[in-house]
Amino acid sequence: MNIKGWWWKILGVLIYLYVIIGGLTVPLKPGVLKVDPASANTGTKLELNITGYNTHFSDATENKAWLKTDSGHSIKARDIHIVDDMHAQLIFELPEVLPPGEKVQPLTLIMDNEKDGAFVQPNAIFVKAKENTTSGTEGWDEADFGHIHTADGIAFPYRNILHETIRNTFFHVALWFAMFIMLIVGLVYAVRYLRTHDYSYDIKSSAYNKTGILFGILGLATGSIWARFTWNTFWTGDVKLNMTAVTLLIYLAYLVLRGASSDTDKKAKISSAYTIFAFVAMIPLLFIIPRMTDSLHPGNGGNPALGGEDLDNTLRMFFYPAILGLSLIGVWISTLVIRYEMLKERLFQNQK
Amino acid sequence: MNISKVKDIFIKELSVEFRQRFAVGGIFLFAATVVFLIYKSFNDINPREWTILLWIIMLFAGLNAVVKSFLQERRETYLYYYTLFDPIDLIVAKLMYNFVFLTSLFVIIIAIMSVFAGFPVKSLGLFVTGSLVGILGIAIVFTFVSVISATEGGNSTLMSILALPLVLPIVLLLLKISAVSVRLMTDTSIGQDIWMLVSIDSILLGAMILLFPSLWRS
Amino acid sequence: MKNNNIQNTVFRFVVFFLITFLSVDLRAESEVIDFMRNSGKIYSVVAVVAVIFIGLAIYLFRLDAKLTKLEKRINDQ
Repeated sequence: MNIKGWWWKILGVLIYLYVIIGGLTVPLKPGVLKVDPASANTGTKLELNITGYNTHFSDATENKAWLKTDSGHSIKARDIHIVDDMHAQLIFELPEVLPPGEKVQPLTLIMDNEKDGAFVQPNAIFVKAKENTTSGTEGWDEADFGHIHTADGIAFPYRNILHETIRNTFFHVALWFAMFIMLIVGLVYAVRYLRTHDYSYDIKSSAYNKTGILFGILGLATGSIWARFTWNTFWTGDVKLNMTAVTLLIYLAYLVLRGASSDTDKKAKISSAYTIFAFVAMIPLLFIIPRMTDSLHPGNGGNPALGGEDLDNTLRMFFYPAILGLSLIGVWISTLVIRYEMLKERLFQNQK
Repeated sequence: MNISKVKDIFIKELSVEFRQRFAVGGIFLFAATVVFLIYKSFNDINPREWTILLWIIMLFAGLNAVVKSFLQERRETYLYYYTLFDPIDLIVAKLMYNFVFLTSLFVIIIAIMSVFAGFPVKSLGLFVTGSLVGILGIAIVFTFVSVISATEGGNSTLMSILALPLVLPIVLLLLKISAVSVRLMTDTSIGQDIWMLVSIDSILLGAMILLFPSLWRS
Repeated sequence: MKNNNIQNTVFRFVVFFLITFLSVDLRAESEVIDFMRNSGKIYSVVAVVAVIFIGLAIYLFRLDAKLTKLEKRINDQ
């Protein structure tokens, strides 16, 4: 076999293998799973029960904890009782007054030890000011945590609700990018067909479109599974979801169009034209409309975000290779379809 | 592009349409029947149902109407056109005709609906501009798809399979704009949606004008 | 003939979607959900990877079957 023509197929599989192994085995950063109670009053002794995730409370010797207000004031935990690696009880003396601001303020919990490094739980607890008290900063320190540890090794960020499913970024999200790449390749071949009327371009265009549709359907299926366990539902009225469904419908109509036509030349012309039209119609669907409306998706409407600065470097180490690997595998599958169709076409020509 | 040629084709289409008065009548009858049927089954149509009804009826009546515009003509007529006109003139004329036709259909549907279910629109300017821009988009998609299905031998099943997903985004935006204009919801950035529609219209129009000549040659 | 083709394709897609969604729905008992939510919802990641793998495999199997048919036709000639 011709090894030169094989390298990119092997590369694609190896890259995707790296993504699966790495994406499933790299641990998550420590985080806080549960904080109990959820609210407290000022001027009381607060016993905060923490359930950690991937934490090593009892292994560590220098456990520290703070509560911080949005205005940048903080108090340090007076005492920390370690139950086990995952459980701890923090004792805080809440001051009599809250720093200037709302009557009820969310406090951010910050924990630090030398094993886990520092980790943060935003809005861990809501503190209610007593009636008839003015605000003030007595009892609060300026937020200054002194020396904070950083953990060794690579780990994925911990996000509320998402937890381990943050790994789906490499599998679910990468599918959409790979789908888009396949559809772009399909579009390019459709344009080339219309310019040259070389039938092989049409075969290529349809093969890449089909692979794109396959990725799209897989994307919807995986998205639905992910949604089931984070948002509790298979399908939501979420714009991104519905717009993608419409995109898939447009491309499924493309398959119907190809199935309906028997004349090769006509089929090629029509389906190339439709590909271009469908792609153009898809752009506002996938990129503009979802951006205009709130979405449940990470990064929209105050949800835990993955995009932008939140796609941190450890995620990038697997996310970009996932797109590349999946695209290479997609190209491979497409070339198989192309070879099949070409063979069929040649057989058909011979029979005539 | 030759403006006078475009005008000629446009007028020809219009006169053909008026000669086949039964076909036009059929579409309007369809709209009237559907409105009446739904009025009878709902008895009381609230603004939300009103907007949804309007666009659903519009969509299906329009689909029926535009299917004809390319399918009614025979192959020989096409050949004749081909020798006579520039493809871009032809498609622009067809599009204009479809647009005018859909707009009048829209006005008539609204008239019928006002009789049965009232006219809940509060911000008329928004409603009219939004609807016109949206109808232009629908006309573009329907024209393009009717060209495709005419090339494919006048298959009207194909037409609806291809057209409906393509107009979905436009109809979704239209529903939102109508909902705002009957004050079902308030949205200060509704102007953005209209610009969105305008930009969808223009890219679809561009794609259609670029693609039509190569489709036409068959 | 032509209409048959369209109907077939549409029918196949409808069946495909129904099967995918129903099969997921039937399994959606609360025990399963609890299991999937265990240890930081890691099993839902596993399920996602499995779905991708199964999807690709089904596509390849279909291609394989089509190729076998084609080979038969070539051999028959």
